[in-house]
Amino acid sequence: MDQFLQQLINGLSLGSLYALIAVGYTVVYGIIQLINFAHGEVFMIGAFGALTVHTVAFDEDMRSLWVLPVMVIGAMAASVGVVILMERFAYRPLRNAPRLAPLITAIGVSIFLQEAVRLFYGRIPGFDDAKRAIPFPQIEFVTGEPIAMGGVVIQRAAAFTIVALIFCTVLLWFFVNRTRTGRAMQATSQDPDTARLMGINVDRIIVIAFCVGAALAAIAGVAHGLRYTQIDFRMGFLAGLKAFTAAVLGGIGNIYGAVVGGLVLGLAEAMAIQYVPGQFGGTAWKDVWAFVLLILVLVFRPQGLLGARVVDRA
Amino acid sequence: MRIDALLERLLGNAAWLVALIGAALTTVGTLLPWTYDRSILHDLTVYFYPAGAQVYTIILGGLALVYLLAQRGPLAGLLGVLFRGGSGPVRMAGIFATVVVWLTLIAIAAALGGMVNVDPGGFVSGAGALILLVGSRAMPVEETPELNGELHDIIEILIIAAVLGGLLLTAAYALNTDQAWIFVLVLIMVGGVAAILQKGGLLGWFTRMAGRHRRVTLLAAFVVAFLFPLTQGDSDANMSIATQILIFAATAIGLNIVVGLAGLLDLGYVAFLGSGAYVGAMLSASTFANIGWTPPFPLVLLIGALVAGFLGIIIGSPTLRVSGDYLAIVTLAFGEIFRLTVNNLDGTNGPDLTNGPNGIPAIPDLELFGFNFGDQHTIFGVTMGRFANYYFVLLILIAFVITVFARLNNSRIGRGWIAIREDERAAEAMGVNTFGLKLLAFAGGAMLAGLAGTIKAHHDVSVTPDQYVFLESAFLVAAIVLGGMGTVAGVLLGATILKLLPEKLRFFSEYRLLFFGAVLILMMRFRPEGLVASRRRQLEFHEEDEALAERVEDDVAEVTAR
Repeated sequence: MDQFLQQLINGLSLGSLYALIAVGYTVVYGIIQLINFAHGEVFMIGAFGALTVHTVAFDEDMRSLWVLPVMVIGAMAASVGVVILMERFAYRPLRNAPRLAPLITAIGVSIFLQEAVRLFYGRIPGFDDAKRAIPFPQIEFVTGEPIAMGGVVIQRAAAFTIVALIFCTVLLWFFVNRTRTGRAMQATSQDPDTARLMGINVDRIIVIAFCVGAALAAIAGVAHGLRYTQIDFRMGFLAGLKAFTAAVLGGIGNIYGAVVGGLVLGLAEAMAIQYVPGQFGGTAWKDVWAFVLLILVLVFRPQGLLGARVVDRA
Repeated sequence: MRIDALLERLLGNAAWLVALIGAALTTVGTLLPWTYDRSILHDLTVYFYPAGAQVYTIILGGLALVYLLAQRGPLAGLLGVLFRGGSGPVRMAGIFATVVVWLTLIAIAAALGGMVNVDPGGFVSGAGALILLVGSRAMPVEETPELNGELHDIIEILIIAAVLGGLLLTAAYALNTDQAWIFVLVLIMVGGVAAILQKGGLLGWFTRMAGRHRRVTLLAAFVVAFLFPLTQGDSDANMSIATQILIFAATAIGLNIVVGLAGLLDLGYVAFLGSGAYVGAMLSASTFANIGWTPPFPLVLLIGALVAGFLGIIIGSPTLRVSGDYLAIVTLAFGEIFRLTVNNLDGTNGPDLTNGPNGIPAIPDLELFGFNFGDQHTIFGVTMGRFANYYFVLLILIAFVITVFARLNNSRIGRGWIAIREDERAAEAMGVNTFGLKLLAFAGGAMLAGLAGTIKAHHDVSVTPDQYVFLESAFLVAAIVLGGMGTVAGVLLGATILKLLPEKLRFFSEYRLLFFGAVLILMMRFRPEGLVASRRRQLEFHEEDEALAERVEDDVAEVTAR
């Protein structure tokens, strides 16, 4: 039973990380039907943004809790900045192009961002070489002694990720349902043309959707850094793929679906480590199971767990 | 474009004269020395005849002169027959000449420390190129003319042979230079000549001529490719690059069936190459191969193709249910599953088949009909090393792959694929078996990649999981997109560019992925149909172009009438 609870906690915290990134895929997709392949890199940039702020503004062994908000703001600034440029220069010119074009562009953006971080991060004096994994600053309150509850050990960073997801989901709910901009976003995702006629600045809404996703990805980047104690320029690829899996699992375009999908995916991975028998269990195969799950969902329930809309796109 | 209008208003009728003066200065400048140091860019110190980078300048400047004189002046009647197109070719000449001259000057300045080391000739050409650029921008824009003359068959065939021979010599020259600057300059010059001739309509004329003598052209191209190792002397380095390009190109053409013809984006295609390579490795005599069965290579080739084709069917089967972006994600996931699986089948996490992350090293050279591919041999007094042997086999492989592609493209199946690409729902309504054809595309493409993979395993000596990552799949898709979707020539060009540049430009290797990402973004923004675009494809991206639409209709009518 303890083992099950342990994996449940592990799965939920892993899933929270996926969920935070997955929202970015889903809000953008809900409005312009674009899979932003480079979203994983936005998450990576967030982590590097937080690291940069910490290195520039504080001592190396500064570990107080009040540093954390500053790092999160730095992460958000980096992610949101990158995403605004990306939308303006890579995606906006292609809004009416055939479907293949933005997809290739997204691959290009993703490679470009990875390489930019790899090449230029190590060149700035005082920073570690970005070709290796870089240690992420640890915050005493969030990364200290794990909490033991009965037979279950909870890493503080894992708890932080879950709390961050709950906090963000509540904020997101408030933003989408209770603010003018949020409702404009809903209207645009329903029908962009009509929304435009109603006086909504659709271009602005698209940028805002990108920014909302980037802000959550930035928080995920910080959480990732705290959880795994190091970051590297390649971390966006696998995380992005997993988060996309989560978004599809929940029903892409549905914000709450992304949260549910993330949690389900995290749980599935954790349980696969523990309960798949024989040689195909264990951590070595968990990524394979996640992708098998993605393929099964796409083939048998392409609308996802919470998606009601029939997905039929060529 | 606003600058162009301003220049046009400023210079008015004098634009032609300005451009002429610029072209003349550019050409004359090459006859004077550009610097004093003999060791830079093939000795640019000589008087009265061009050398090294000056030759590239003189070619571009000379072409500009010819095109300008064909418009006005005493030679207009004589030259006007062939060199039409007005300002278009001159503009291209202006752009490329400026780039070539100033890059050369920058190279000199960088090598010797400052612009003071540039001798007057360099500045004359440099200024001339800039004047040419300004003058050509001020000339009114004209449309690319369509040259339609037909010559006697024998003359046409001779022209085709001469052009292909020239390309072979240029390629041999460019590859054999050890200076990165020269390599870049030659590439820009060749690109410039192509752009000028394209704008002048000559390239289109040549393409139509080559189309009339399709068999001759194909044969000549194949002969040129066959002769290539003879131009390389004993250099194994270039042959190694050439074999890598051929493997990459064969795989990319296989992928082109899936992406270019059927319009199904596959982002995990490298898994098929990988499965072929792993089959080749596991059934080889390597001591790390755990199967312990070493059938003769032709059988391995067959097994590799079948295994890859089987995987292709498995990967293709979800296409019944998902399409578009989702399909891209499914194939991406399959690619990752392949990589993770071969990484894990190491005995501790699964059955011991692939030797895990270490892969299977020490794969012996191929041995076919008693000939060992590791041996050297001599043709016409030229010693051919190990890579030349693989080159010839790969040439046969790629000829086979191209034949399969071309046959499929022109068949009922190929038209079915294109129908699916254009509008799947409509194709289905017209009685096209969409599911069967999509599966066939995946299986067929995969088998071609599997074939290439089995040879690649022996060529590379070892197979490891990290050779078959997502980035490689992205590169394959990029080769197709850069070159031009659905065309063989485009894919060959794209594959060559993507494999050759990183090998030749060592100084650039650190940044190559960064540039690659940027080029993908820019290509999609400015020329999404690729460098060599099939007309139909071009139309998809330029829907509002009426003239283009008419030409495509004519082409279709021509094909149907045949």
